[in-house]
Amino acid sequence: MGEAEKTFIGGLHEELVEDKVIDEAQLDPDFAEQIRKYGGKDVMTCLQCGNCTGVCPISLRIDYKTRNIIKCCQFGLKKYTLGTQWVCATCYRCYEHCPADLNPAEVMIALRHIAIREGIIPPFIKTAATNLVKYGQSVKPDPEIDRVRKELGLEKIGTEHPEYHKVIREINVLVHATKYDKLIGIQDEVKA
Amino acid sequence: MTAPAPQEKGTTPTSSKEETKSTARPRIGVFVCHCGSNIAGVVDCGKVRTIAEKLGDVVVAKENKYTCSDLGQEEIIKAIKENKVDKVVVAACSPRLHEPTFRKCIQHAGLNPYLLHMVNIREQCSWVHSHEKEKATDKATDLIRMGVAKAAKLEPLEAREVPVEPTSLVIGGGVAGIQAALDLGNMGFKVYLVETQPSIGGKMAQLDKTFPTGDCAICILAPKMVELARHPNITLLSYSEVEEVKGYIGNYDVKVRCKARFVHEDKCVGCGLCAEVCPIKVDNEFDLGFGQRRAIYVPFPQAVPLKYTVDKENCTHFKTGKCLLCVKACTNQAIDHKMQDEVVNLKVGTIIVATGYDTYEPKKKGVYKYWEYDNVITALELERLVNASGPTGGHLIRPSDGKPPKRVAFIQCVGSRNIKLGNNYCSRVCCMYAIKNAQIIMEHEPDTEIAIYYNDIRAFGKGFEELYHRIREEYQVEFIRGRPAKLSENPDTKSITIRAEETLLNKITERDFDLVVLSVGLQPSEGSKKIAKTLSLTTSPDGFLAEAHPKLRPVDTAMDGIYIAGCAQGPKDIPDSVAQAKAAASSAAAPMFARKVTVEPLTAMVNEDLCVGCGLCIELCPYGAPELVQGSKGGNKVHVIEALCHGCGTCAASCPQKAIITRQFTDDQIYSELQAALQTTKSADNKKKTEAEVS
Repeated sequence: MGEAEKTFIGGLHEELVEDKVIDEAQLDPDFAEQIRKYGGKDVMTCLQCGNCTGVCPISLRIDYKTRNIIKCCQFGLKKYTLGTQWVCATCYRCYEHCPADLNPAEVMIALRHIAIREGIIPPFIKTAATNLVKYGQSVKPDPEIDRVRKELGLEKIGTEHPEYHKVIREINVLVHATKYDKLIGIQDEVKA
Repeated sequence: MTAPAPQEKGTTPTSSKEETKSTARPRIGVFVCHCGSNIAGVVDCGKVRTIAEKLGDVVVAKENKYTCSDLGQEEIIKAIKENKVDKVVVAACSPRLHEPTFRKCIQHAGLNPYLLHMVNIREQCSWVHSHEKEKATDKATDLIRMGVAKAAKLEPLEAREVPVEPTSLVIGGGVAGIQAALDLGNMGFKVYLVETQPSIGGKMAQLDKTFPTGDCAICILAPKMVELARHPNITLLSYSEVEEVKGYIGNYDVKVRCKARFVHEDKCVGCGLCAEVCPIKVDNEFDLGFGQRRAIYVPFPQAVPLKYTVDKENCTHFKTGKCLLCVKACTNQAIDHKMQDEVVNLKVGTIIVATGYDTYEPKKKGVYKYWEYDNVITALELERLVNASGPTGGHLIRPSDGKPPKRVAFIQCVGSRNIKLGNNYCSRVCCMYAIKNAQIIMEHEPDTEIAIYYNDIRAFGKGFEELYHRIREEYQVEFIRGRPAKLSENPDTKSITIRAEETLLNKITERDFDLVVLSVGLQPSEGSKKIAKTLSLTTSPDGFLAEAHPKLRPVDTAMDGIYIAGCAQGPKDIPDSVAQAKAAASSAAAPMFARKVTVEPLTAMVNEDLCVGCGLCIELCPYGAPELVQGSKGGNKVHVIEALCHGCGTCAASCPQKAIITRQFTDDQIYSELQAALQTTKSADNKKKTEAEVS
């Protein structure tokens, strides 16, 4: 497993191999209920057929199994799951193919909510959030990108727009008002 | 809405004698049932009883642990005799369950059985309000107060009898229809069996072997088919369709269209000389496109009746007016291209619907690429390919190159257990037929590798688990738990790669197979959908025909005199279909043996003086019971055919003239109930008001 993958996956596979026996103390019985609260309403309905894993484009690249994460959620294996969900691209292919009409992507989004609130925040999330309050987008503006866009006949990204700074200010106010800055830990970057 | 005063209801046509009778105060007995703890666990039955005792007209109120038990019924009889009770209120379960029990009970004590009113304090009270005991007790009291008010207005009714024609119609000639027809024929009843195809036999005739015992399907079915054709009591109407059914239990008028075969059935001896000379070759539907037949054909060698049929779509004569080679070849002058459809009118007493199933057809743009890849086939196609009398003589081949496949995969739950497709149910047979077909393939070609992709294996029947065990032990068939995500074809070898998560291994696998078999589920047949409309039968949410009660009336339908058997009711294997067919035959035989049937008097009746013959009720009635007739004093009047009427009350509620009365649900009775209900609400309101004033 590459370094980058480890950052993304948080070592679900390794930890599962290490723990030979899972005792009850490791289980969080309210975990499924918590996931449902954050929108993953289908978590307990899953039949474990594995169709979602098979169609997942991420699973082609790295060791990531949608079905397995859902099973861990059903079981209450919180500590295994909270690092894994960032890799989901929310392409909803799993939802499209699920024979039981369930939505695993929603479970992944719910897991992100829970992880953030537990303080498990990967560095790239912080970077993206900082970019958002600084530049109004999650990717940092880059002269190289502008050059390519010009070549393709596209407009320049609106950093020079007269309203640009006003918009950035509004974003800052919103981020602060919703306490998103505190949640992610970027209070210092926000000017509200 | 203002409730008219009860005395205005004088329009109810009751004889003056009955009126004088009802002027005396009724003597009502109330019996509150504990139903073990079902009711008593929530409702305070003692309190309910004491309140009921004090209601006007109530002379006796009792409570019982189980009112439906012998002890409970004896108490009712005792009360009727000792306290001269003339109307009975039983507060217990739903009338659907025990109304007949208590009617018989009070009849035994000398009362008219329709002087009973049941108050449902179980399904509609204790079961649904199990968390609010006090409120449930209040509700039970209210319901009983309403029941007593209605019971006071009950009138005696007489059940009527209608004659039953001892003839039965069986629709569908699959194994279920054949069995039902044979059983009824053997009991001595005249039976008509209508089948849309040129031959009876249904889907079972297409199968190779049957699980779990491995009997050859056609070998065990063909003797039954022949027996049916030769049976003196059974008339077989093959290549025919039921067009119209009118009437009611005991007296159905059925119109059957016998489609033109263009061959006289009485002259054709099934020699096949005609087919030998026919120049047209088309795909045989019976072999699902793998074999071919001529334009004049029998679908399969064991067909019953063994009479040839001209396929009008493909016959040269119908296109050009020429050819007629078959006519020249026939030594019996049996072929007649000028034949016309014939409509036969039948009079039958009972009807058995055994219209079977269709297999699920994979979607055109589906994941499993059934329409794109040659080597992806359905299980029914596999049945034809491994069948000794099939197009390949029992040799399994790959459709792409005709070579025997070395690696075969089965994919389970295609078109069943799939909420996206709307087929939420399990088709019950796919696990076992896949296992059985794996066994057949291994017996033919022992060096074949077989993998079965499954979600859950359901081997629930007699001998099923043993077969599942044997297939693993003897043939080393591999079971892979996982639903395949993607199928792709190798353009050179035409073999199929299946990508799936092997969920028990927690690994994604990609494996190559020469042949992929989709274990398609069962769904309601087109014939079932059509017949449901013709007979006004209801369907379950899954689309199959609905039985009258899922446990206690599994072969009856909501329509009296119409029964269902086989896969028309839901997916089933052959033993279950046969068992249900036998059950349907015995249910249908009961009224035919008796030659008469008792019809509930809870029907609608029309007051001719008020009816203006507008016909609104005729349009609204779901059972076709009201009809327009010439009134005795002239003019169009509505008459209700009582045997067809189910007493639903739709007509009475809609009649602008209030000319229709539904017995035991008269306006008078319903308004009394409503008044009793409003009294309760009022007193509760007052109580609230006083409480508010005090505070």
